[in-house]
Amino acid sequence: MTASGNCPTGTTEERELPFSFTPQLFHLHKDHELFEDGDIHRHMYLQDLYVSGADDEPALSVSEFACHISGCSAVFSALEEYEHHYNSLHRHVCCSCRRSLPSARLLDIHIQEWHDSLFTVLAQRQDMYQCLVEGCGQKFRTSKHRKDHLIRIHKYPPDFRFDKTKKDRGTREAKRPQQKDTAMEVADDVCESEGVCEVMCDVLSEQRELGETMETLVEEEAARMTKPAATMEHTDLSAAFDGNGCTSSETFKTQYSYRVPTTVCFGHSSVRGFRGRRGRRK
Amino acid sequence: CNRCMAIKTTAIKKINILCKFNDVRKEHIISLRQARRDRQLVSKRLLLTEDEEQREVTMDTASGQQDLVDLLCKVQHSGPERGTHLKALSKALRDPSEQLTFIKQENSVNLLVSLLTGSNAQCRLHAARCLHELSHSPHTNVAPACLPATPYLLTFLSGQSTKFTELCLYTLGNLFPDSDVVKDKLLAQGIIPALANCIENQKHNLAVVEAAAFSLTQLLQAKDAAEKIIPKVLASSLPSQLLSVLNPDPNFGLAPAIECAWCLHYLACSSDGNGELLALGALSHCSSLLMSLGGAVAEGNKEEGMELLVCPLLRCVGNLVSCCPVDSLSTQVGDVRLVAALCAFIKAYLHTQPALARESAWVLNNLTAHSTDFCSALLTLNLVPGLIQLLPFSQGINTMILRVLANVAHKKKESCLQLAQLGLLSTLCATLKMADQEMVTLSLEILFMLVIGRPQVADEFVRLSGVSLLEAIQYNSEGEMRRRAAYLLEHHLLSHSADCTV
Repeated sequence: MTASGNCPTGTTEERELPFSFTPQLFHLHKDHELFEDGDIHRHMYLQDLYVSGADDEPALSVSEFACHISGCSAVFSALEEYEHHYNSLHRHVCCSCRRSLPSARLLDIHIQEWHDSLFTVLAQRQDMYQCLVEGCGQKFRTSKHRKDHLIRIHKYPPDFRFDKTKKDRGTREAKRPQQKDTAMEVADDVCESEGVCEVMCDVLSEQRELGETMETLVEEEAARMTKPAATMEHTDLSAAFDGNGCTSSETFKTQYSYRVPTTVCFGHSSVRGFRGRRGRRK
Repeated sequence: CNRCMAIKTTAIKKINILCKFNDVRKEHIISLRQARRDRQLVSKRLLLTEDEEQREVTMDTASGQQDLVDLLCKVQHSGPERGTHLKALSKALRDPSEQLTFIKQENSVNLLVSLLTGSNAQCRLHAARCLHELSHSPHTNVAPACLPATPYLLTFLSGQSTKFTELCLYTLGNLFPDSDVVKDKLLAQGIIPALANCIENQKHNLAVVEAAAFSLTQLLQAKDAAEKIIPKVLASSLPSQLLSVLNPDPNFGLAPAIECAWCLHYLACSSDGNGELLALGALSHCSSLLMSLGGAVAEGNKEEGMELLVCPLLRCVGNLVSCCPVDSLSTQVGDVRLVAALCAFIKAYLHTQPALARESAWVLNNLTAHSTDFCSALLTLNLVPGLIQLLPFSQGINTMILRVLANVAHKKKESCLQLAQLGLLSTLCATLKMADQEMVTLSLEILFMLVIGRPQVADEFVRLSGVSLLEAIQYNSEGEMRRRAAYLLEHHLLSHSADCTV
């Protein structure tokens, strides 16, 4: 056991420990519910109704998995489904505005274009808007130029869901609790440039947004995931689908709110949440 | 037809119509569960007639039905035919509505009592049979009507033919639960000493022992048993008698042992019972029996109905262990390899009778909660990997097993590395994602125990992508979960400088 100057002392830590497991003895009275099935068997035996091997009791079942995110009520019967759900919806989340992006790269681009004031400044002078297609490498002066590029060169649909402008996000933005970090707030306020569209996971946003939200992607994911039985909430967005063949009624939307300090974030490392300050910290 | 009923009690086979219709059976079981939850479940037992024992019968009694009142009249008149009519009467009394009709007739029970105590042996037997049919009635007002017979039934518990004694015993056991008036009368008339004497004097007669033990189970389940009945039973010779009959006779079968085990279970449930039972060596006795049963089960020798004996034995051991002082636990149980038997039960009954697997896991928890010996046994007997494989299964099985593993980690800190390496760490990555909050909380607790002071375990957890898992938990709606996850991240997983090991 070593203690350095950086550490709180052992006793302080013990007092603060949130762990409380102690082994417990259970003495059960005869009417305890744990004994119910065995008592039924006993009764059937006495009444000459017993059949060894009859499935009189509920069949063995396997525990379900559930998404931890508060407000997300997704439940899964297999671990892979959980992983898929989490990685699709909760992994790449912007800590500033809590939008969920489908990949690390799009998250990076989003943070850069929406929350980095340095980006805003630089974008006035040079081509900063990256093409969304990985490997393309081209950069553009405005997000409109990038969008044209995406449509013309990469054959993207004109209503590609991940290329919405920041202005389109609606008045819902004001409802979000703002970051305590003033640097971030400034970035939000002054950044009027058009940026990478991201998708929101929010019931409200769906009502106010102009249509394309991540729900579509989520529903595609959900359609793939819900082949085994999983309880998901319903949405009437299925009508908004075009051409992706998803007619499953088992779509869902997630809705969650964060109740922990915004300094903690998802992602591979917690540093991601502070991307916006990248320029300043150095 | 694998839904046909077969029951082996003293070589009796009987087909019951009820079982052929699965829906009826399921409905019936639902109503039984509700009755139990209301603490109204009464289990009576019907002894079959000799005719029924020898051939298969159906429940249909429509053939040869005679008018009950008419039969009663015939019985009232003495004569050589009396026995025949009495036998016919007993057949008629199998029907619940006829039972009600019977007790409404004036002096009907008194007539039976006089025949029961009369000079004709055949009539005594038939009269006892009539009373037995009445005692099995689903109508609770029938039992009080039979009260005039009880002092005689008790007297006859010694010195009669086996069949007669059996009838009396089952009749008394059936009558007992139906009303408080009956209970009080029977207790006052000395049913407890009568049962004790009966078992003691007829120990070699296993059919009688089985019947007496069954009756005792009826007494022990009474609502006020703790005050009125259990102290008297504990003071008598009954507990030691029951223990001495506990081992199944290879010829006679499991049935007497089953009844004795259930008596012991009801005694062990009560707070007074444990001390007395422990003093008699009940824990050692039940444990060694469980071990031999566990050995049989592990080898695949599952005698039909074995679970009917395993169940009450598990409960005895579970409850006795919870009241046994820790320092004498190993000697009281006798053999730490009991844990292997328990794991064998879990494995054998997991799919066919999950409740039995759950009860076995409960016993494991009680054994490992405070005893280093039993925790060590789980490790040295290499039972941990098998337990880890049970963690997907719900309905209380995985939570109990996780508790057992937590007990081991808690009790034997030096085993934590081994537990992690045996697969517990990687399994926690799955259990931390379960919907069951208790599973997640226990998982976090175990993770803490594994990781603390062991940076290599922390490293491995990080390699298993555990960090993002804990980060997700920080968004859980339960504060308790968030705090635990945050603590682990902060002190053990993200700050890897190892300066903060405690």
